[in-house]
Amino acid sequence: MNNHRLLHFLSSLTVISVGVAMLVGLSSDWGTPAASFAAFVLRLVTVIAAVAVFVGVFNLLAVHLGRLARSERGWPYSLLALLTAAGVIALRILDRAEVWSGDLEGEQMSARAFEAVQVSLESALAGLLVFFLVYAAYRLMRRQVTIWSVLFTLAVLVALVGWIPLEETSALADARDWLVRVPVSAGARGILIGVGLGTVAAGVRVLTGQDRSIRG
Amino acid sequence: MTPENLDLIAGWVSLVLTLLVFSYLLGDNVLYRLAVHVLVGVAAGYTVIVAAESVIKPWLDETLLAEANGRAEATLAALRVVGAVPFLVGALLLFKVSPRLAPVGNLGLVFVIGVGVAVAIAGAVAGTIVPLARAAGESVGEDTADGLVILVGVITTLIYFQFFAVARRGAVRRPRLLRGLSAIGQVFVTITLGALYAGAILTSLTIFSDVVRAQLEFILDRLGG
Repeated sequence: MNNHRLLHFLSSLTVISVGVAMLVGLSSDWGTPAASFAAFVLRLVTVIAAVAVFVGVFNLLAVHLGRLARSERGWPYSLLALLTAAGVIALRILDRAEVWSGDLEGEQMSARAFEAVQVSLESALAGLLVFFLVYAAYRLMRRQVTIWSVLFTLAVLVALVGWIPLEETSALADARDWLVRVPVSAGARGILIGVGLGTVAAGVRVLTGQDRSIRG
Repeated sequence: MTPENLDLIAGWVSLVLTLLVFSYLLGDNVLYRLAVHVLVGVAAGYTVIVAAESVIKPWLDETLLAEANGRAEATLAALRVVGAVPFLVGALLLFKVSPRLAPVGNLGLVFVIGVGVAVAIAGAVAGTIVPLARAAGESVGEDTADGLVILVGVITTLIYFQFFAVARRGAVRRPRLLRGLSAIGQVFVTITLGALYAGAILTSLTIFSDVVRAQLEFILDRLGG
């Protein structure tokens, strides 16, 4: 119990001291020792984040390997995920070893695989989203008609119809331009400033030791 | 094997994967799940590659595997000690696997949180709050009517998101003035979310038409020989 209290104390001490030192460094002029310290710590954290990414990916692969080893339901999907991950890494290693010869000399197979697989899948998933967004807007009006849902739908319609490139709809295009320039700009600024204020408030709570949830 | 053959294979792979993803329009099915797991595997592989090549390898080259290049022995030793720090902190994260040893793992995490909090505060103040508040104020000078609408919109949107309330006759409610201003703020928030939603629809529609065009071009090229 005492060891845990000591660890909790060390955690609080670390987060407060590192946070305050970084704030001082980030608000100092470029080239000063405090700013150089902040830049160095940022580099250190980037490497720690990369190591954490490694830990996370290996954990993901270990979970899939476990499902495969125990022949759990859906194990073929896990096998596929493991094979594709291993395949991509193997392709990159072969690219760096420059093993491709003949017409394929200098070819970056991993970049080609990225284009053919990841870009295709992500584009298709992003394209698929249009059906669900339109269906969700339709469901919104079917389930409950309130002043806010009507206003929301009107804003969606004006913004969408305003994009139609027809002379007859130029008034709607003007309405869309005004909508985006004035009320949307105001709302977006308000929301972003609110998010910023919330970030500062939550950050100050952590740095003053009021928020102790970070100790785990 | 020629680069043209590789293009052809890549085209077929892309077409098949696109069709697997679009099969979700018929409901959740085996083909869609296959595509998603391919994405998980490929994304995991690329994440490891990018982390290793862009961050970890340069760091190792500059610190742990750095060459002497006329540096003093003590400097080189210090460089190697510093180079090992991120890996030690990363190793601490492994302790989080065990509930009993998790607080030890937190020591590594709190270092990252401390830096993250400082960066978030500095970024929010210098990159969001000050520039946006200044822009809202300046908009009044550019066009008085629209500028005032923007200023009122920003202020009432902020009021909409705050929840100071007082207890009166047993009920906890916001003061009447705040409720009125909050309702105006809600109008701005609703219109903003509606316009952003329309933007999301337009973006995904553009991507969808681009994907369909690219795949149709590939099929027509194959049919045309």
